[in-house]
Amino acid sequence: MGEIGLMPDWASVLDMTQMPVPTDLGESVRALGRPTGTSVAAFRLLRCLLKGHRRLFATAVAGASVFAACTVLSAEIVGRVTDRLIRPRFEQGSVGVGTVALVLGALVLVGVVRGAGVVVRRVWAGRTGWRITEKLTHEVIDHVVAQPAPWHRRQSTGDLITRAGVDAEAATAVLQPLPYASGVVVMLGLSAVWLVLTDPVLGLAAVLVFPAMLSLNIFYQRHVDGYFEAAQTELGKLSSAVHESFDGVHVVKAFGAERRETERLAVIAARLRQARIETVRLRSTFESLLDGVPNIVNIGLLIGGAHRVRAGAITVGELTSFIYLFTLMVFPLRIIGYAFSELPRSQAGWTRLRQLLDEPIEADPQARLGRRSGNTVDVRGVVVSHDGERDVLQGVDAHVGSGRTVAVVGSTGAGKTTLLHAIAGLVETSTGTITVPDGVTTLVFQEPFLFAGSVRDNVTLGAPLDDDAVRGALATAEAGFVDALPEGLDTIVGERGVGLSGGQRQRIALARALVRRPDLLLLDDTTSALDPTTEAKVLSNLRATLAETTVIAVASRPSTIALADEVLYLADGVVVAHGSHDELMASSEPYAELMQAFEHDRDELASDLADGGLAP
Amino acid sequence: MTISEPLGRWTAVETIGKGVQEAPALKSGFGLTLALAMVGAAGRLAMPILVQQSIDKGFEQGDVRVGTITTFALIGLAAVIVGTVAQRTAVKRLGTRSEEALYALRVRLFEHIHRLSIADHNEEKKGALVARVTGDVETLAQFFSWGALAWLLEGTLMLMVASVMLAYDWMLALVAFIVAAPLGFVLHRVQRHLVAAYERARVDNAQVLTSISEVISGAETLRAYDAGEQYAAITRRDSHQRSNSFIRAGTIGAFLFPSGEVFSVLTVSSVVTVGLLRGPDSGLTAGALIGFVFLTYRFLEPVAQFTEVIDQTQTAVAGLRRVLGILEIPIGPPEPAHPVHIPEGALDVDIQRVTFSYQSRRDEDEPPVLIDVNAHIPAGQQVAMVGETGSGKTTLGRLVARLADPTAGVVRIGGVALTQVSNLELRSRLVVVPQEPFLFDGTIAANLGFARPSLSPREVEQAVVDLDLGDWLESLPDGLDTDVGQRGSALSAGERQLVALVRASLVDPDVLVLDEATSSVDALTEVRLTRALDKLAVGRTTISIAHRLSTAARADRVLVLEHGRLVQDGAHADLVAVEGPYARMYEAWVAATTST
Repeated sequence: MGEIGLMPDWASVLDMTQMPVPTDLGESVRALGRPTGTSVAAFRLLRCLLKGHRRLFATAVAGASVFAACTVLSAEIVGRVTDRLIRPRFEQGSVGVGTVALVLGALVLVGVVRGAGVVVRRVWAGRTGWRITEKLTHEVIDHVVAQPAPWHRRQSTGDLITRAGVDAEAATAVLQPLPYASGVVVMLGLSAVWLVLTDPVLGLAAVLVFPAMLSLNIFYQRHVDGYFEAAQTELGKLSSAVHESFDGVHVVKAFGAERRETERLAVIAARLRQARIETVRLRSTFESLLDGVPNIVNIGLLIGGAHRVRAGAITVGELTSFIYLFTLMVFPLRIIGYAFSELPRSQAGWTRLRQLLDEPIEADPQARLGRRSGNTVDVRGVVVSHDGERDVLQGVDAHVGSGRTVAVVGSTGAGKTTLLHAIAGLVETSTGTITVPDGVTTLVFQEPFLFAGSVRDNVTLGAPLDDDAVRGALATAEAGFVDALPEGLDTIVGERGVGLSGGQRQRIALARALVRRPDLLLLDDTTSALDPTTEAKVLSNLRATLAETTVIAVASRPSTIALADEVLYLADGVVVAHGSHDELMASSEPYAELMQAFEHDRDELASDLADGGLAP
Repeated sequence: MTISEPLGRWTAVETIGKGVQEAPALKSGFGLTLALAMVGAAGRLAMPILVQQSIDKGFEQGDVRVGTITTFALIGLAAVIVGTVAQRTAVKRLGTRSEEALYALRVRLFEHIHRLSIADHNEEKKGALVARVTGDVETLAQFFSWGALAWLLEGTLMLMVASVMLAYDWMLALVAFIVAAPLGFVLHRVQRHLVAAYERARVDNAQVLTSISEVISGAETLRAYDAGEQYAAITRRDSHQRSNSFIRAGTIGAFLFPSGEVFSVLTVSSVVTVGLLRGPDSGLTAGALIGFVFLTYRFLEPVAQFTEVIDQTQTAVAGLRRVLGILEIPIGPPEPAHPVHIPEGALDVDIQRVTFSYQSRRDEDEPPVLIDVNAHIPAGQQVAMVGETGSGKTTLGRLVARLADPTAGVVRIGGVALTQVSNLELRSRLVVVPQEPFLFDGTIAANLGFARPSLSPREVEQAVVDLDLGDWLESLPDGLDTDVGQRGSALSAGERQLVALVRASLVDPDVLVLDEATSSVDALTEVRLTRALDKLAVGRTTISIAHRLSTAARADRVLVLEHGRLVQDGAHADLVAVEGPYARMYEAWVAATTST
């Protein structure tokens, strides 16, 4: 009987395809190409992977070897069944009950032991693979978490997620079928010995067939993988195209482009169909050959065996054993090809993991911030460049007094966000010094990130804070809507959680910053998603609860600026003016112009009203 | 009808029948495929029959008839070759036909889903729609490449083996079937646990991927709040849980094969014992008994596989049911059977006694979204619709754009009811600019070209200049070839709106429906937007769903909606002067935008 137990491996293969495997995965695997110096590289890969888990792996290989030995034994027993039981009974008329019990007892025993070998092999192979995947995942996560913000900003999020989530699993993929493959090698060795011992002539002829069948399998597996990969790449392309097309359905409808879009997607779907059909062609040919060739070998064995039986070299039973053994070996020979097919994927996964893990942990700009008691902020000659090309901040100098509320104003690209991030220690400065309060600094991002978890978890982020503190912070942030959510603080938000509006997300993010009672609070256009009335309430709550806190807020509308004590006006990465709004209106022409643009709408309306005689 | 729920009312057979109807490629020539598979199965049985024949007729009482055996062997060889070729053809036919069928099904789905109404494309349902086209159709694809193949090859093989066994000796065949039968039961039990265990593992795996993606996507936040270690710990815990689940599932799965093996040796032993008891006098031959040993192996080999195959088949049928469920959803505003042309030239818009409720809410007590709205908008007028969130202004805009049809009443443009206009013609005369314009991943030029693919790059560029956006074009790193990134993420929200305005202008529509953006835009882009909008609106009937009163103030006329009713209709200046919802909104707005 063949290795039916392969099936659950299919289940995990099916599982893999449900995962959001990024489309570029197939490409990167191909780019890395087939490993050169396969055996050396493969050996090195295994040594690295198995470090610390050798015993688990050895147990699995032992189980596979038991299975292999029992397979050869069972063929031997089938020969005995023929020679000792069936032929005596049908040719001589009788057979001893004791012999029957002995031979059939052996048959059952060997079958049970063979099955036990499979259980041991599969269970321990699974443990080896998953424990190592787990170890690799932990290493990657610890490494990623240790890297500072500038490093993260340079990475592609999707690529990092792939490395931690998919590559760690891919790197160990070869470990699952490997014990089985080792077992097959043992089986081939034992079979060769057994065949030659039973009949040197026929045995030798049979053994010569092994390498041929093995090569056919490996050749097929190598080829079919390329086709599978190509089809998988097409599938990835189709999935992202479908995603995008459905996302943009409003545009499609607005321009009556339903048919055009369907045709566009149909072209991509046709490429997938083509790739799949080519796979099917190759598969149908080889799978039929893999079924047919062993049968042809068996027919040859039968003819050769007939001569050997006539010569008296072997018995009919031994010939039956030969044929039976070949029948049993068809499936194992197939799996060895499967094990080899996982090798490139594992190697590619491992290479990508190593690239990540071998990167040194970078210096954290947070560690370079100067600390001083008292809630003042000092920025001296700070230059920040993106990608080492453009200077986003070109020597910023600013001093913010303790407990002040400062609005950072400027047009897009003036460097407002970068300045805030520099003060929070999230970007690398090329020159200059920044001194911040020697206490807690919190930053609320322009685009708040909510983690998949409860509102409470999103406010505390794992810090030991009680519910009163959380509720207090939410109240200050005017996030009373949380009480109305189905589960209150326990409501799950973030991906797959309840849908929140931009303003609601901002208020939870704000509470996250406030609950830590910061000495310095940095708001990156945080209140823009709130209506002006709520915004004003939030800022007055803030002053009431955190009187000593220094607040630096990027502001993009007049109502926000109106709530600040002073204004820091940035243009092209330098501070153009710093003072109260009224001072700046009087002294800085560009600032006044910007304000006019802001209020353009209102002024225009006011003049309309004046024309209508309705001036307020 | 909901999208995410499978339609329980179709049985498996009905579902498959409907599936074949939608994708006829599945059925065509299936009889021949099946016949070829039978021939293939016969070829795979050549060996056991050959062994039986040789033992019975070739090795008689110490005499070896090599000639007879060679003759048998050559016949067997021919059978194997014919069988192999037949099997190959059967597999290829099945694979090709199923890919054709899946392609047809995918294209049907694309077309149908694109034609579903906007209500069926909301945020909650969108994921389900994508899942149907990718996930569920892929489930079918996987079924065709494994499960269906197993039915075809192993199903025919088991049938043939059983027939040969019965032909050799019906009593031994019965013994074999009876002893092996409990295997089916055991495998079924193991399989049930296995499926549950893998389901659990799959959930845990999804959890790990979520945790990982959170730690990475939220890296800046975790840094800013020094919470990286806490979240890494969560990921480590989830990853450990996943390993445990997969190891557990693997352990259960490890028993599948051994149970087959144990039943196999028990069956062989029983058959041999009974065969020995009956002996040659019953007409049984030594060859047939040895043949049985081989046949039992051939018979039981696919059994364990079949528990998996049946499970996969059920999953595939469920997937097919969900896919077909999508095709059952009626398409959005239906195409008229006999379309009427809209007259040339400027168009007026007439909203007559329009009431609208969302389908899903019909049973509930919720009031309609729009109640008996009447308005006539003369050609070329600039109208702003205002009202609080939930007032119905967005819905009214959608009805005018025929993204949905009113529950009662009628909307006409140029005197023709929208339900009488063909979709393609309507879209060439009326364009909607949505609140959050969607851009496809590609260049700005490609996104503009989406409106009219036939335009040359020069014409597209001219359209940008015509909307007074030449200075913006110059500010772009690669001009019109600038990449917008996924969903336009490389551009600011304001720039995405600029692209949407130019895109709308390329169609040169007579009616514009503008859903104004709420997100804040920097001052310069704001100026550009206002300029472009003014240019675009000239000479066109324009209906703005206004979120800012400044827009309303600039319009010729303001429609004020409250709780689905049109409560005020007039010029801004007149409406401000009278006590009412508009005057109240206006006062609140002036207060909020005053900075000094």
